[in-house]
Amino acid sequence: MTGGGNDTSRAHRAEEDLGYVRDLVARSERDDTPRAIWYLWAAIGGIGFALIDFRPDSVGLFWLVAAPLGFLASVWLGWRHARKLGQESRREGRTHMLHWGGMGGAIALLVFFAARGHLTGEEIAQAILLVVALGYFLAGVHLTRPLLWVGLVLAGSFLAVEFVGGYVWTMVGAVMALALLVTAHVQDEAGGAAARP
Amino acid sequence: MAPRRGPENPGPEEVLARLDAIDRLLEHRVRLAIVVLLTRYDRLSFSRLKELTGESDGSLGAHLHRLEDEGYVAVKKEFVDRKPVSWYRLTTNGRQSLTAHLEALGGLIGGVEP
Repeated sequence: MTGGGNDTSRAHRAEEDLGYVRDLVARSERDDTPRAIWYLWAAIGGIGFALIDFRPDSVGLFWLVAAPLGFLASVWLGWRHARKLGQESRREGRTHMLHWGGMGGAIALLVFFAARGHLTGEEIAQAILLVVALGYFLAGVHLTRPLLWVGLVLAGSFLAVEFVGGYVWTMVGAVMALALLVTAHVQDEAGGAAARP
Repeated sequence: MAPRRGPENPGPEEVLARLDAIDRLLEHRVRLAIVVLLTRYDRLSFSRLKELTGESDGSLGAHLHRLEDEGYVAVKKEFVDRKPVSWYRLTTNGRQSLTAHLEALGGLIGGVEP
């Protein structure tokens, strides 16, 4: 049997089997972020940015409480979702935590910078918006593809703040909330999962 | 003139050796898929494996049973939302066997002329 057609057919079958395995792995990697996380950050972002227009003195306190709580709630929602899905990966959880935690850390440093008197209220808000836009864009590149365009929309909002007057921060909050709700809706339409980058 | 033997052009003995190195248990595509999936995730539940492989309860259960008997996977039963869930993880033995099997497969695929 050596070197004959039997070996060749066995090798071809092995190649087909590896293709089958590759397909299953790709299917298992389809992103399935819990919708509750999108809704949570749509609410936090919508309220948090609108407060700059309506209650500027409460913005700092709001973000100081809402951001860490939102982060912890997102970790819990992701963990619970993985258990319900039946697919647990510490590596994946760690990657998400490092990404979003890193973005939170950058924002905390900006707040520290502002507290030292280097940035004014409007400037710090704009700098944070830019960091958030970059955070979402990079999440779209590395973690969850639909977040790419959320990042682009937020980058557009950053430019809008520079040129549009009036209740521009309320509009930024509304745009962020809308972008996240549309992302959740698109994910639902795609059968609950979007292709991972 | 006889063809020169080497890694790209193995002789009959070499092909036989490569065939011998193939793990019989992992020669079945479903069992191979289960073990490969478990290298990528810490734990997978029975229902998730069923969803991914598209196998019936009985068929998947039989494959997992064989892998468990050979010490390739370990099972742990837990309750999630008050429902019993069987979680599977890859053992060190399973990981080593998969590595050896994939090396043998690579040799077989690379060593046989179309």
